[in-house]
Amino acid sequence: MKPSNHSIVSMMLTIDRRYIFVLIALATLIPLLNPINLPIVISPEVRAVYDHMESLPEGAVFLLSMDFDPASKPEVYPQAISLLRHAFKKNMKVIGMTLVVTGTGMAEEVIATVAEDMGKINGIDYTFLGWRPGASAVILSMGQDLAGTFPQDHYGTPIDELFVMEHVKTLRDVDYAVSLAAGFPGIDEWYIYGKDKYQFELGGGSTAVMAPGLYPRLRGGQINGLIGGLRGAAEYEKLLDQSGKAMAGMDAQSATHFVIIVLVILCNVFYAISRQQKRGWRRT
Amino acid sequence: MQYYVPHPASEALLTSASNWMIIIGGFALILGLVSLIQLHMNRIQRNVEGWGYSGVLFAAMFVMVIAGILAGGENLDSERELTGYGWTYSYAMVPLQGTMFSLLAFFVASAAYRAFRARTKEAALLLVAAILMMWGRVPLGEYLWAFSGDIAQWILNVINSSVRRAILIGVSLGMIALSIKIIFGIERMYLGGKKE
Amino acid sequence: MLADGLPLDVLIGAWVATGLTLFIYTFLYRDNPLFKLGEHLYVGISVGYSIVITVYAVGVKLLWIPMVEKGQWQLLIPALLGLMISARFFPRIAWLARISFAFVVGFGAGTIIPRLISSNVLSQLEDTISPLVTMTASGLTYTMDFLDPKSDINNFITLIGVVSVLFYFFFSVEHRGVGQAIARTGIMFLMIAFGAAFGYTVMSRMSLLIGRFDDLIMFSGAEYGRPTFVLLALTVVVLAYWVYREKQAFRSTVEEKS
Repeated sequence: MKPSNHSIVSMMLTIDRRYIFVLIALATLIPLLNPINLPIVISPEVRAVYDHMESLPEGAVFLLSMDFDPASKPEVYPQAISLLRHAFKKNMKVIGMTLVVTGTGMAEEVIATVAEDMGKINGIDYTFLGWRPGASAVILSMGQDLAGTFPQDHYGTPIDELFVMEHVKTLRDVDYAVSLAAGFPGIDEWYIYGKDKYQFELGGGSTAVMAPGLYPRLRGGQINGLIGGLRGAAEYEKLLDQSGKAMAGMDAQSATHFVIIVLVILCNVFYAISRQQKRGWRRT
Repeated sequence: MQYYVPHPASEALLTSASNWMIIIGGFALILGLVSLIQLHMNRIQRNVEGWGYSGVLFAAMFVMVIAGILAGGENLDSERELTGYGWTYSYAMVPLQGTMFSLLAFFVASAAYRAFRARTKEAALLLVAAILMMWGRVPLGEYLWAFSGDIAQWILNVINSSVRRAILIGVSLGMIALSIKIIFGIERMYLGGKKE
Repeated sequence: MLADGLPLDVLIGAWVATGLTLFIYTFLYRDNPLFKLGEHLYVGISVGYSIVITVYAVGVKLLWIPMVEKGQWQLLIPALLGLMISARFFPRIAWLARISFAFVVGFGAGTIIPRLISSNVLSQLEDTISPLVTMTASGLTYTMDFLDPKSDINNFITLIGVVSVLFYFFFSVEHRGVGQAIARTGIMFLMIAFGAAFGYTVMSRMSLLIGRFDDLIMFSGAEYGRPTFVLLALTVVVLAYWVYREKQAFRSTVEEKS
């Protein structure tokens, strides 16, 4: 190898990371500004959540625990919008809550906004219970006596005065619960302390980081479906036939993934060349 | 007890105890709060470089608490409009936290380029699996090679599931053993004791 | 309301959100005062937010109202246990905190045992120990469908995966012969799973970036007064000035030393 080749390889291997930053920024920005809307394939785990929601009758009790904070908003918030839209479209009784203190405002905002869009009334069609500390203790307590855990909704109305909570005394009265989680507490806790003990159907939505860890539960039927990350949210939007932020972000997701694939391949090509060069020098 | 003997009395005990845990959980915030205040008060008192930022932290905290009290702890008022507290949450806290974590996108890309090298056969396997996953779980990947989605799905459902399951079982057995040690008083580290 | 229909609070909010987002992104250049300002604001606001929510959710709704309006004075016990946690900051009464910790840890340990055995051990084992062949009306069959997670071939692979990974982790004896083969299989499974985890981590992080860029694009609109462009230019100028000042300070320090 010529010395110039060696210097190019070592330069590429030690390139200033800020060039990579610019590349990632462009790979995100350009597709967001010029989307080509590539087709999205629906995975069985997302379809399972959708199909279960479809199978529920009008008036079924749907509990959505929005267990995520602002750090995970881009991934999980679109899932919350889609699930709430679906539940309201099917005229279900919707109960919103969160186990994550810093997510309270977002959870309140999403349920209030979607409900208003769909003409639903607080207390009659839906309620937002707010946040309680204690994670597993909250789920256990709700399984024992929901009114004990949440004597009032988030706005201070006693829950026994809410029409939507009329026949909901414990978690056993919930027809379908979905935890939208970004870590602890989340789907694991809802299964371990909730579904496994109080026997209600449970689905999940999560950040992509968490999703692989939930597949044993999915395989074992402990959760009946899983919406994983922005991709999962995009699939749900497609199933609902309502394009939102998740579908809009899929082209950028594709572009950034491919930039990283190219970077990983390039890095390994340069690494292999540099190893060959070193071996060549040792021989000489 | 309640699990093995689901008598109304043990049920009532679990109901009360879990409610008590929620209340105690609320007070746990004090622990973190005091530690944070101690750390930043020290920085201010000692005039450590950048102590002014600790002042900013206290000011932000104070403003948020006052705004919260004025809003009665509500993000939205009765007209479903944002309160001052809700406004600060939506336009300051949400973007700040979101952006802070989105920085990781840049660093994960940089780490992938710098550290993701096939030095051994095992590392090569990890690398191929990661590439297949990144390829197969985005629309462009499935568009270019439809089968990539199926491969990614299989890895998740079978290989990944079995590994995660083994880890889940292993960690759970460890936690069960620890809990038994706590109940029988063998493990007392949580009380601030020393290892015997 | 402004002429273009945007309420003033939304307009100011757009400018604040954009500015703070850009402050944090300046870290990509390197650590600097704008980032530090954003970082400390974030911690302060988050803590303030959590204090208020906790006071209202627990202090008011679970303690004050039930006690004062419904006479449930027995709730003083958990309140006291909660307060006793803070005794650990006062050495003379620090022992009081042990009572609270004992209750919390005891409750956790007691509830977790049956739950973990049922949810994470038995249920997981039950799904792992599935029949490796399928019995149908026409006799035994072997389903080879890789896409069906419950097919016989996938059940078999899952069994091998779970056993080999558990073996690799649990049997800390030197892996030789058959043991080595099982442990090697476990490592292969682990590597593929780590690869999958990395792929999904990339997916997650990129989604967060997409979300923030989405907002920056939205706030670049004329209806908001294009805060993204204006504040980006301003941030770059401030950052450039800070870099210039740093270099000046560095130069003068070097000169002083020489």
